[in-house]
Amino acid sequence: MPMLKQLSELGRAPKVLLLGSGGLSIGQAGEFDYSGTQAIKALIEEKIEVIVVNPNIATVQTNPVAGVKVYLYPVEVEWVEKVIQKEKPDAIIAGFGGQTALNCLMGLHDAGILKKYNVLNLGTPAAVLRLTEDRDEFAQKMRSIDMPVPSSFACETYEQALAAANTIGYPVIVRAAFALGGLGSGFANNDEQLKNLVQPALASSPQVLVEKSLKGWKEVEYEVMRDSEGNTITICNMENFDPLGIHTGDSIVVCPSQSLSDDEYQILRNAAITIVNSLGIVGECNVQYALDPTSLSFFIIEVNARLSRSSALASKASGYPIAYIAAKVVLGYDLLELKNPVTGITYSFFEPALDYVTIKMPRWDLLKFQGVNRNLGSTMKSVGEVMAIGRSFPEAIQKATRMVTENPEGLSMLRAPITDDELLEELSAPTDKRLYAVTEAFRRGWSIEKVAELSAIDKWFLYNLFHMIKMEHEIGGFAKNADVSQGGEIFTAKALQKVSGEDWRRWKIQGFGDEQIAAVLLRAANLPSGSNEVRRASLIVRKLRLEFGVKPVIKKIDTTAGEYPSPSNYLYMSYGGLFSDPLPDDQKVFSAIVLGGGSYRIGTSVEFDWCAVSCSKKLQDSGWRSIIVNCNPETVSTDYNSSDRLYFEELSLERILDIADVERPVGVICSMGGQLPNRLAKPLADAGLKLLGHKHDSIDRAEDRSRFSALLDELEIGQPRWTAAKGKADIQKFIDEVGFPVLIRPSYVLSGAAMSVAYDDESLSLCLINANDVSPEHPVVISEFIEGAREIELDGVAKNGEILTAIVSEHIENAGVHSGDATLVVPAQKLYVETVRRVRKAGRAIAQGLNLNGPFNMQFLAKEGDIKVIECNARAARSFPFVSKTVGLNLADVATDVMIGGKPNLARFNEDDLPYVGVKAAMFSFKRLGGADPILGVEMASTGEVGCIGENVDHALLLAMESSGVFRPEKGVLVSSGSEKEKLRFLPAAKILTELGIALFATKGTAKYLQDHGFPVTALDWPGEGPNDVIQAIKDGKVDFVINIPKSSQRGELTRGSLTRQAAVKFGCSLLTNMEIVIAYVQALGRCPEFLTNHQVLSLPPYRS
Amino acid sequence: MFDRNFLTCVEVKEPMRQKCKLVLSDGSSFQGDLIGAPLRASGELVFTTGMVGYSEAITDPSYFGQILCFTYPLIGNYGIPDLPKGIGLHLPFPRGFESGRANAAAVILTIDSPEVFHWNSFQSLDEWLKNQGVPCIVGLDTRHLVHLIRSQPNLLGRIEPELPEGYRDMGALTPKSNSAFFDPGMNNIVTEVSCKERIVLGKGKTRISLVDCGVKWNIIRQFINYECEVELLPWNTDLSQVDCDLWLLSNGPGDPTRTGDLTAQVEKLLHGDRPILGICLGHQILSLAAGAITRRMPYGHRSHNQPVYEVGTRRGYITSQNHGYVVEDASLPSEWEAWFRNVNDQTIEGIRHKTKPFRSVQFHPEASGGPRDTSWIFEQILAEVKN
Ligand SMILES: Nc1ncnc2c1ncn2[C@@H]1O[C@H](COP(=O)(O)OP(=O)(O)O)[C@@H](O)[C@H]1O
Ligand SMILES: Nc1ncnc2c1ncn2[C@@H]1O[C@H](COP(=O)(O)OP(=O)(O)O)[C@@H](O)[C@H]1O
Ligand SMILES: [Mg+2]
Ligand SMILES: [Mg+2]
Repeated sequence: MPMLKQLSELGRAPKVLLLGSGGLSIGQAGEFDYSGTQAIKALIEEKIEVIVVNPNIATVQTNPVAGVKVYLYPVEVEWVEKVIQKEKPDAIIAGFGGQTALNCLMGLHDAGILKKYNVLNLGTPAAVLRLTEDRDEFAQKMRSIDMPVPSSFACETYEQALAAANTIGYPVIVRAAFALGGLGSGFANNDEQLKNLVQPALASSPQVLVEKSLKGWKEVEYEVMRDSEGNTITICNMENFDPLGIHTGDSIVVCPSQSLSDDEYQILRNAAITIVNSLGIVGECNVQYALDPTSLSFFIIEVNARLSRSSALASKASGYPIAYIAAKVVLGYDLLELKNPVTGITYSFFEPALDYVTIKMPRWDLLKFQGVNRNLGSTMKSVGEVMAIGRSFPEAIQKATRMVTENPEGLSMLRAPITDDELLEELSAPTDKRLYAVTEAFRRGWSIEKVAELSAIDKWFLYNLFHMIKMEHEIGGFAKNADVSQGGEIFTAKALQKVSGEDWRRWKIQGFGDEQIAAVLLRAANLPSGSNEVRRASLIVRKLRLEFGVKPVIKKIDTTAGEYPSPSNYLYMSYGGLFSDPLPDDQKVFSAIVLGGGSYRIGTSVEFDWCAVSCSKKLQDSGWRSIIVNCNPETVSTDYNSSDRLYFEELSLERILDIADVERPVGVICSMGGQLPNRLAKPLADAGLKLLGHKHDSIDRAEDRSRFSALLDELEIGQPRWTAAKGKADIQKFIDEVGFPVLIRPSYVLSGAAMSVAYDDESLSLCLINANDVSPEHPVVISEFIEGAREIELDGVAKNGEILTAIVSEHIENAGVHSGDATLVVPAQKLYVETVRRVRKAGRAIAQGLNLNGPFNMQFLAKEGDIKVIECNARAARSFPFVSKTVGLNLADVATDVMIGGKPNLARFNEDDLPYVGVKAAMFSFKRLGGADPILGVEMASTGEVGCIGENVDHALLLAMESSGVFRPEKGVLVSSGSEKEKLRFLPAAKILTELGIALFATKGTAKYLQDHGFPVTALDWPGEGPNDVIQAIKDGKVDFVINIPKSSQRGELTRGSLTRQAAVKFGCSLLTNMEIVIAYVQALGRCPEFLTNHQVLSLPPYRS
Repeated sequence: MFDRNFLTCVEVKEPMRQKCKLVLSDGSSFQGDLIGAPLRASGELVFTTGMVGYSEAITDPSYFGQILCFTYPLIGNYGIPDLPKGIGLHLPFPRGFESGRANAAAVILTIDSPEVFHWNSFQSLDEWLKNQGVPCIVGLDTRHLVHLIRSQPNLLGRIEPELPEGYRDMGALTPKSNSAFFDPGMNNIVTEVSCKERIVLGKGKTRISLVDCGVKWNIIRQFINYECEVELLPWNTDLSQVDCDLWLLSNGPGDPTRTGDLTAQVEKLLHGDRPILGICLGHQILSLAAGAITRRMPYGHRSHNQPVYEVGTRRGYITSQNHGYVVEDASLPSEWEAWFRNVNDQTIEGIRHKTKPFRSVQFHPEASGGPRDTSWIFEQILAEVKN
């Protein structure tokens, strides 16, 4: 009987505590908002009161809706215990919050807190969780049920690791326990490399496993679900395009497997079921294998006894709602009695049959970080992912490439030239560009055999890519003897005259996009092929193709390959068929297409998915049919429950036009998904689609720097002086006039930061290297960089140019730290009332000037009461969920109401009467980006965020800091602050730290300065400049908090400071590199010394309107 | 293992394929490209949703007289292992096959794989189907065909290549006219797939008499693994002349009521006490012999993901299934009971006699294409036989 029976005998609604995964970081990202949100849906259906602990304020699961109480607190034992004391939950579920939730559950279990408060752990028992996380115990358990694992030894010290490596014999892999995303893991071919891996790994994990390396084998995963009766199914299997040795999170993954015979498929399936039953797992888990590419022999790599990145992918690839069913199973239901919600008539005890192929492709942002090693390995470095669905392998992989590069030319995109030697290197030691090296190799006539030997990629995959490149060649062939004299469009029409209907169908089933075909043709005839020329030619391609009736059809994902009728609303488009599936009819008259944000990356993350999901829900509540288009499998927006119709499709002009042709929506909403859909507004409007919300001219006027600047002049609103320099002379002229420091924005960036600050001629030349060239085609925007200015944001909604509501928020850090990395406070704490008045006045004028009609975000600088506008985004901003939840008004709902012509009633909402103070802090993943300098600058670098509320800014700030990984100093604080000015500003903080009895350490200059001002401090040497150097102090754990203020925000050079900062990150020390946040944080520590002990946890109040 | 390292990347030419039509008994027709043998063919249009195990399916005798449409769009990826022409019935049977030849009347796919690279592959699907004499249409909208099959019971089809060179050999049942639609439900087709004379395979203490109505090789492999001696009997053998420790009524194609006097012969066995195990067609024949009734399903269960549960427990198993007929629930006589039921529609998936050692299953515990969750059934049966 369901566990619920025990709970239902309580005579009241049972209360279950659900642990979230906290702020997003590389290796633990948006997929846990998806699984957590599905779990909440399953629990609410059972009339269970849900208590969520998750500081990630930008997620859908932390929406304070009916039946859910949200606690924005760190997912740490001490804080979760306080929530348990207050709420007295009957049970706890930790399988839906990634590694963070798992480690927290094990902590609660070991501390006896669950037993003390009689909280039932639903799902896989803590002992089993420990076993699957402890690499050595796991290997022994596998051997005991004679399941093969590579020979390995668990080690707690470097000496043990050395002995183990020499017994097994190099090459070996080092893997950390209780970690995910391959943190602290890597390959070692000799003792030296082993040392560099083991020491940092042992800093963050109690145990490392030294294991035989099976690099080059196939990597295959199975998603398994087991209920408490022991009924076990495998939802699907997945085969990695990239062989073992590249982390599954950084591999292209194909679902279902393509190159496994029935024997191989079933042997691994049987092993997965045997393992999961022997472990007694209840709920969902994933089993990872190494499979010999030349025989049936295999090894088990690991088992993740929880929802994971691959289970989110498996849910979207198979259509089986894994987290939803897993939540019901964890409550005690068995799979035989749980209906399959996709078909409505069959049950969840079955294994999805796919009649399509899906491909996941990772998205990296390594170019942004100077000095990061871009080679792929056993440590995950990707920040996001996309998934493509097709009815042929080429169709899926071409779609996935367009989705991840956000370039409609996909695999045929022009890339930086590469020599043969570089190509050889790239194939055998892959970076994030490996797929394009494979296609480039085939363009140079290299054989499948050669590429396979270098890359160890299965030849079946390579054959498909080879065949595709041959077809690209065939398409280019049509450019021969076509008239090039009258420009691209006429040339395209003439070149494609002789293309038959069958040719079009062959090209499209092989996944070639219209813009891709146009680009290949134009380049074959070496005509200009910039994005505008390609787009214009592609509209000719589209017209000719449609004349032959070659159109994509709509197919459903129904988990049964069409065997049972299904009302599924989960759709994709493909050229692998001639007939569309009948669409579910919901009798709705109006419909709107909501464009999602595509892959998560630095700058676009779960916040924009919150906006898209809120928008879709609001459309449904207003009786509209909401149609979501998105291609990111980690998100809640690509859960078919989030809309009336979900097109798991490309966010490209071609595909959105295909969808609009069928759906005939009232209009398209581009303002909810962030940068990508916002950039599509103009081409969609030009192609005749109606935009809901801002007119595309308003968007263009806000985005186009010179038009927006002209508007500000017209409205007499201040802005930092700037110019678009067409050459080095212009730059010099501007600097002579305005003076340093200046902000440099190149328009064409090859690699390195897109924006940087120059303080003098030397740093100016450094910035211009990244700019690659300064010319009329690629002007460099140079603006005066205002130092010491407060940065203020205005998030709100306007209707026909009139602001309905707008919230003022303030950055703690001065301008110069990107708004996405800064610590945001609502309501503003330290602004003059006059400054706020001027900001609101300027905001009203700009909204009027741009005739804004929907969501907006404006950014201001304020210095000595004078305000300047730096940008206006005519779309929802990443601060929308944080601001909305803090003030209790869902801005995305209000904006959607406006966009569909409604009039939101805001009578009871007063922007100045706010219940709590909210603080949002950014989350960084520098720990995984070895070699990157962990400092803040004008270029965004954070991969996630957390947000907490409190009675005052101190409480909210302390909670937000701890949730983002900045913990209270206990052992000692190491300070090194560059300039004299910074040392002076640090003095009050030094006083507080000393009073709190925290030992102070400092580098030479700072130590002397502090001693001169009477503070006891231990002086340390810079790295390698003396016996007790700072890095040794960090390694030995003498110091657990580092304050290091860099001289300039210039990333990259290997200074003493950056070495110290990187060491702090690598060895798990809290690190602050901005003086404003240091002062605010230390003051908060001073004012609330016993914060943890006497804080009364408070839950997020529900939305008011 | 066949060494294919000689493959050098010669200019891979697009194989020129002739057109080929699929004509259906409801009058509709679809055109795709032909691979395999350029022959006409006809049979009942059926679909399977299994994603792997295509060579096992195509050689499964149960598909005789049926046009097998794969819903998974990429078939042939890992090629076909070696299957010497005219291979006789001798152990060990090559893996990847369920009989010595392709039995499906024809095959329908979305996309095939002209080049194959799997370590155990000897030839491509196209080459193999050519020398097995089986036509195959590529490039059809198989999901639409599933929709059609689901909406009209027992849809029949004809394969019409542009340049046919004859008719798909179906032995005595090869249709005479090119416009005929062959319906496997209308004849006794076990005759075409049963062994011609008795043959003993394997050595061991337990003697198994296997009534061969088109047995899948993996059923024999299971018993050989458990050290049994298996005697294959032609379907029309006089069972009263045979003695054994266990009767095995094999799977096979066609309508269970069109198997000559086999049901009557099995009825006689019910008076004895020798254990009997029926699989798929064998399950239907045992049910008929017990007095139950079978009926033809609108489009059958052909997939690797059919869920069944053991009656009286909450234990479910994922099974591989391929059947167009089902035993009527109400018609089961009182001394019999349901052993397994389908999780989705509660139809009978297995029966057992309440007192005697007679039992049968509608699904395929030997799998070979598909999940092996129910292979314990062979172990359980043999344990009962021993004591
Ligand atoms: N023995 C091994 N030999 C070669 N590569 C390995 C081995 N074990 C793991 N890997 C690689 O390291 C990656 C991460 O290892 P895994 O155990 O999955 O860690 P995590 O828990 O971070 O996912 C795997 O995806 C695989 O590609
Ligand atoms: N003129 C300026 N003076 C000082 N800081 C600036 C100036 N312009 C921008 N910044 C800083 O750089 C950050 C990013 O600049 P912004 O124009 O907002 O770029 P983005 O389009 O990436 O948001 C801002 O958040 C602000 O902190
Ligand atoms: Mg893993
Ligand atoms: Mg900005």
